[in-house]
Amino acid sequence: MIFRELALAVWVSLKTSGLAALIASLIAVPAALFLAGREFRAKKLILVINQTWMAAPTVVIGLLFYSLLSRSGPLGRLGLLYTQAAMTVGQVFLILPLIVGFSYTALRQVDKRARRTALTLGATPRQAGWIVLREARFPLLVAVLAGFARAVSEVGIAMMLGGNIRNVTRNITTSIALETAKGEFRNGVVLGAILLVITLGINVLVQTGFRGRDGE
Amino acid sequence: MSDAVYRLENVAYRHPGPPGTAFRLEIDALTVRAGEILALVGPNGAGKTTLLSLLAFLSRPAAGRLEFLGGDPWADGDRVVAARREAVLVTHHPYLFKGSVGDNVAFGLKLRGRPEAEIAARVRAALALVELDGGERRPVSGLSAGQAQRVALARALALRPQVLLLDEPTANLDAALGMRMEALLRESGPERGTTIVFSTHNFSQASRLAGGILYLSEGRQVEFSHENCFSGTAETDGRTSWIEPRPGVRIVFSGAKRGHVTCVIDPAAIRILPASAAAPSGAGPNVFRGRVTRMETTDAARALVRTSGDIVLRAVLPVRDLEAAGVSLSREVLLRFDPDAVEVVGDRPADGEKPA
Repeated sequence: MIFRELALAVWVSLKTSGLAALIASLIAVPAALFLAGREFRAKKLILVINQTWMAAPTVVIGLLFYSLLSRSGPLGRLGLLYTQAAMTVGQVFLILPLIVGFSYTALRQVDKRARRTALTLGATPRQAGWIVLREARFPLLVAVLAGFARAVSEVGIAMMLGGNIRNVTRNITTSIALETAKGEFRNGVVLGAILLVITLGINVLVQTGFRGRDGE
Repeated sequence: MSDAVYRLENVAYRHPGPPGTAFRLEIDALTVRAGEILALVGPNGAGKTTLLSLLAFLSRPAAGRLEFLGGDPWADGDRVVAARREAVLVTHHPYLFKGSVGDNVAFGLKLRGRPEAEIAARVRAALALVELDGGERRPVSGLSAGQAQRVALARALALRPQVLLLDEPTANLDAALGMRMEALLRESGPERGTTIVFSTHNFSQASRLAGGILYLSEGRQVEFSHENCFSGTAETDGRTSWIEPRPGVRIVFSGAKRGHVTCVIDPAAIRILPASAAAPSGAGPNVFRGRVTRMETTDAARALVRTSGDIVLRAVLPVRDLEAAGVSLSREVLLRFDPDAVEVVGDRPADGEKPA
């Protein structure tokens, strides 16, 4: 496996999973803020569905989107199948419930007095919402990172929706699968180590940066 | 009058909760004037914190009219935010945002878009007022409950609001610091034109600080009477002093005082004994005979007992002690309290003498 090919696989992993984590967070964190701040009848049901969705195997999500995006599927006209965009969409759906669940727990743990204190000190309701998010910034970031880690390490969606096309949709995990199938275990182990180093590096950066600043 | 900061008419608020626990607050009429210090006094669950929350516009009345500076703050969202910026609440267990003491005190000023230099100056001044000078950089995670309460007070003082709402402001402070905070509130009140509404369990603190007292019980304002509050000309033997609010009725308190004195007796410090107990003579000072004229439970554990006789007294005692004390309506009882339980809240020295 040549270096350029390896670098491209790493880049595809970072790009698709990073984008998926960003998009999923933009949906999941406000949803979690809504769920954490309100009590309504359907809330329990939504949380149960979310938890069930969290356990969905990647191949099931891959299969679902494959049937939607394939030429004969309802979204076939978009021509997304076997593209990085399709991989990102599939990964968004994979990690969305995970980030919702973690963010919900993080926001529920923010002291209820935080919002009232912000309001009495003159915050608008929107500013008070931001302040609650700020108070939970570390666990929220952990939620986003957990989502990213889940996306970057999955193989089912990348394989089914990306098609493992060389230098286009081949990422680290599909490369590992391919190298292993070819009997090139050494390449597989190297790619796995790269994957671990990437996630470790991000985690260390976040932990040291945030904990140091907050004095937590 | 146009100087009314708050005007409440038939305001009702219902705090939702499971059946049997729902709480209702009803205020028939209340006016708070600019620069006034108003104390909310009452037992736990009386509605003091709920009323403060209504006055801070953190809760909306279910019925009635709540006017602030002549308008209805709940008329639209912008007005509520503007009203909140002029009526800042400091809670009993204040919440401090993650970060430093300085970040917290600067919080409201930043929301108001004040220039950095002004924020720094106001933060310094506010921390000095609560005796936390130079503590800007200190992380809030290491503060004691008393320090946290002082930071929260500084955070509110830095904003210089028209109204300061304080829920048991000295509850987490030791006695000496509590007195200094009382002095600070007195200075922040009429002298600076800030209106202060604070809640307390401490009747004598309310008498010392406030120009008006609103007594709450079970969510309703109740007529405040001067029970347990007596005035008279004090005599002293050098060690203890006494006043005689009525001929033959002597209230003894510690310390040497002369001149006109107003004192209060903490209702929780009054013991009720069966009338058949040992005769008052030889039992020490402050033993009075009375008849129970009113009994009510203030919460599940405590009872309020009002007696008439030598003097009218109100006592608070654990419900379980009612029977032991032989307390029932119209029953004759003995009431007794220690001279140290009598607190002098106002004194005017006799002519030609300097205050003690």
